Amino acid sequence: MTHAPNVSQVDPALKSELAKKGIAVMKLQELYNWGRRSSIWPMQFGLACCAIEMIATACARYDIDRFGAGLFRASPRQSDLMIVAGTVTKKMAPQVVRLYNQMPEPKYVITMGACSISGGPFKEGYNVLKGIDRYIPVDVHLPGCPPRPEALLHGLMKLQAKIDHQDIEKTEWYQKGLKREFPIPEFGPNGLLPPYNPEVWQPQKRKEITVPA
Amino acid sequence: MFGIGVLKGMAVTFKNFVESYYKKERLTTIEYPEKRLAEKERFRNFPFLIFDEKPEDPRCVACDICAKECPPQCITIVRAQDAQGKPLKKPATFDIDYSICMNCGVCEEVCPFDAIFMDHEFELAEYGRFEDLNYTIDRLLKPKEHFMKIRPTDATRIEAELKKKENAKKAAAEKAAAAAKAKAEAAKTQASQVPDTKPETKPNEPAQPADPPAEAK
Repeated sequence: MTHAPNVSQVDPALKSELAKKGIAVMKLQELYNWGRRSSIWPMQFGLACCAIEMIATACARYDIDRFGAGLFRASPRQSDLMIVAGTVTKKMAPQVVRLYNQMPEPKYVITMGACSISGGPFKEGYNVLKGIDRYIPVDVHLPGCPPRPEALLHGLMKLQAKIDHQDIEKTEWYQKGLKREFPIPEFGPNGLLPPYNPEVWQPQKRKEITVPA
Repeated sequence: MFGIGVLKGMAVTFKNFVESYYKKERLTTIEYPEKRLAEKERFRNFPFLIFDEKPEDPRCVACDICAKECPPQCITIVRAQDAQGKPLKKPATFDIDYSICMNCGVCEEVCPFDAIFMDHEFELAEYGRFEDLNYTIDRLLKPKEHFMKIRPTDATRIEAELKKKENAKKAAAEKAAAAAKAKAEAAKTQASQVPDTKPETKPNEPAQPADPPAEAK
């Protein structure tokens, strides 16, 4: 039994020749991913000062709309991307996880700024979560305090590159019985319970530093 | 007539809408990946380490001051040792966790050896946190030409200061050597004047190795 040749195996020279005549040849998957990467709708929520840079990115100077990601949705049900912009306090963390659970698949997370990646300058504090990746899976980490608007655009381009490489036949969100509900932490007497979600995050083993002779 | 005001207002809006497509001063968008804003010299983002000639010997002497001063404690330094276990003036490992760093620039301010400076690089988004955002010494080291390129004013000032310091050090060494030599000669003449039981001994032998720089002068 012979299969039709895979379109992506078309000679790239022929492909560009056809593109000049207005014919685009691509796999269905490429078209699908192109559509998804060009319409990443972020959720409209900011937690601290990084949100100011996120707002600046959405304004005319940098214009995140050029990437198709300018439609900030006020509801998690309509958004594809959560930009965790700012300090995640322990009081706010359950709400962030709840919002993430309410987003439809496929969903992505960008952690913007030192505080949301690791707690940043507040990592020794009693009231700040040491990184939102303890509870939800994070796609792109964006360091900075806060990152420039261009840095956020660069992070978004990284996310687009990630989406481009996803295979629709193997994606988790089309498989049966997928349950991507992450447990919402509760505020206990000594901070959040559980302290992290073992499915997505494990404590790093402390590396023994050996001094080379 | 009812509605004239609305029409006038809409005319202004329409004029502005059309102008925003062709008037040069209205086109404010920086189309980022292709075009960028001109970099400001005083912009600071993340620290990097500087080396003079070879990346094997950086300016950093592993004094640990920046690691102690760093407000979010994101710097980890281990001092290098030689085969006998004697500490060297050189870091064995120098890690900066960019996921914690808050770009304050305190490390640059406190460094007494002008070895760490804030970089202009901002395209640092990564997929992994622990593996990608922890910058080890091989990713941190950059030549001093890079510093000269991004911050020419500061670089020229600091280079001049370093040169001055080095010259002063050299001059002091020469002076000390000359003084030691003079002292040695004085002692010699004294020894020759006083015929002692042991006339062959040279009383100021340790002063001898300090002589060559003075002769070079």
